[in-house]
Amino acid sequence: MRSAIFRCKTGIGKTAVNVFLTFYLVISVYPLIWMLMYSFKDNSEIFVTNPFGFPKTIRWENYVRAWTEFDVVTFFLNSVFTTVITIIATILLSLMFSYAIARLEWKFSGFAKLYISIGLFVPVQIILLPLVILAKELHFANTRLSLIIPYIAFELPVSSMIFYGFLRSIPNELEEAAALDGANVYRTFFSIILPMVKPAIATVATFIFLFAWNEFTMAYIMISNNKLKTLPVGLLSFQGQFATDWGAMGAALVIYSIPTILVYVFFSEQIEKSLTAGSALK
Amino acid sequence: MNSIRKNKKAIILFTAPALLLYTLVVIYPIIQTFWRSFYKWDGLSTPKFINIRNYTRIFSDHDFYISLVNGLKFSLVLVVYQIGLGAFIAFTLFRLKAGKARFFRNSFFVPVVLSTTVVCQLWLSILNGHYGLLNQVFKVLGINYAQDWLSSSSTAIWVLAFVNAWQFMGYHMVLIYTAVKAIPEHFFEAAAIDGATSLQTHLRITFPLLAETFKICLIFAVTGGLKAFEQMAVMTGGGPGTSTFTLTYFMYRAAFRLNEYGYACTSATILVIECLIFTIIINRFVARERIVY
Repeated sequence: MRSAIFRCKTGIGKTAVNVFLTFYLVISVYPLIWMLMYSFKDNSEIFVTNPFGFPKTIRWENYVRAWTEFDVVTFFLNSVFTTVITIIATILLSLMFSYAIARLEWKFSGFAKLYISIGLFVPVQIILLPLVILAKELHFANTRLSLIIPYIAFELPVSSMIFYGFLRSIPNELEEAAALDGANVYRTFFSIILPMVKPAIATVATFIFLFAWNEFTMAYIMISNNKLKTLPVGLLSFQGQFATDWGAMGAALVIYSIPTILVYVFFSEQIEKSLTAGSALK
Repeated sequence: MNSIRKNKKAIILFTAPALLLYTLVVIYPIIQTFWRSFYKWDGLSTPKFINIRNYTRIFSDHDFYISLVNGLKFSLVLVVYQIGLGAFIAFTLFRLKAGKARFFRNSFFVPVVLSTTVVCQLWLSILNGHYGLLNQVFKVLGINYAQDWLSSSSTAIWVLAFVNAWQFMGYHMVLIYTAVKAIPEHFFEAAAIDGATSLQTHLRITFPLLAETFKICLIFAVTGGLKAFEQMAVMTGGGPGTSTFTLTYFMYRAAFRLNEYGYACTSATILVIECLIFTIIINRFVARERIVY
């Protein structure tokens, strides 16, 4: 029935839709395939002999060059470290917090919820400059913490609100049964609540992964030490070095994108769900 | 049971870490930015209170107006491309068989999960004046339209906005697609029984029920355009000249190139107020009532 409303009555409309979608598919996807292909080519093939098609010979040496001669491996590991710590710490902190505002009884729980949800609307621009000063004053400027700490704090509101919604839907009887068995609040949290929120943890984890792995603005401004740069900013330092070596640059871009593409291929529903969950809160 | 729920120690233990971190890293800096926007400060020496002079200065700064207008241009492109095209594609997907629809939806969504840096670098090579993909395509088609796409100060901002719109169109498409899917089937059945045409059904059912989703998309696209930064930072460095400045880039340059910290805080404050005004306007005029099925 729904599809009937959206369907064209005539055959011409149907063809037009197919032509349009295919046309946009080329605009949307071919650039990515083109990037993948040129990461295996040398300059003469990219520029002159074969700019559009499959590489004539697969040049893995581009990848070897990107990985060894330039700091891709350092940036990659920095990104992995920052992302993993951010995911774990944010989930732990926001789960504890939202447990307290969703299921424990205290005077200011409503206020605390309101207070943290202000953060949903805060653009990074308004906190960026004082953050740089704060990092200097608290002596974590130009360390790994200068990204991890803001990332955790910045993602706390979204993940707390996703957990909050989920925790409110769990029936109270569960905890009451646990209490009758003599479990205290900590046991209840770790052995009853934690296993129940696993689906929400998956949603939040994908959300934070995409944020932390791709985050540019804070990484650009907070870190100046080359050894500590994450991939999005590290790649910029190639612009000069790789200006004449497109193949290796393409290889670096592909290496950077592999984790997100893999996650998307295996969890596409999950990703679309977690990104739309984030938007629904606003 | 009550003792579990009202355990004060546990409540403090559970909430204090998150609240402290959030207050220190998010709330405190917001106050700092507002406060320091009234100071002349290089970020190192003692700040000097200069009342509203930063504000009077910024409103007579030529680059500020370039940034302001560029933000609006950026927003315009995002609204038209992401919401217009996104909605159109989302609607057409419902005409296709499930498998085919999923294929197109997933394909259009791929750029969303990629890093903005990767997308910007990719488009730098597509737009390259000598060997770029776009100019090569023109050459093959025999069209004499090859040019250095980012070197013209009148078009560069539109190109940057396009790159952003291209990357995140799929996000808006999925938001709208999900919203259409959530409309209960009996709404459409009722319309069909009453003999409504598909145009009538769209005007009376689909669009009104999607109003709230369009509102969210509109807020994302408009504020996203006003806040734009990454494309400038990666692709043009604000250039040629200052022609691709946005308020965030203006702030970045003031703080980290010119060491005018207070002045940078002023532009950050104005940016946030601008976003707030647009959000309030959109909230006021689009979808004022929440829809619950």
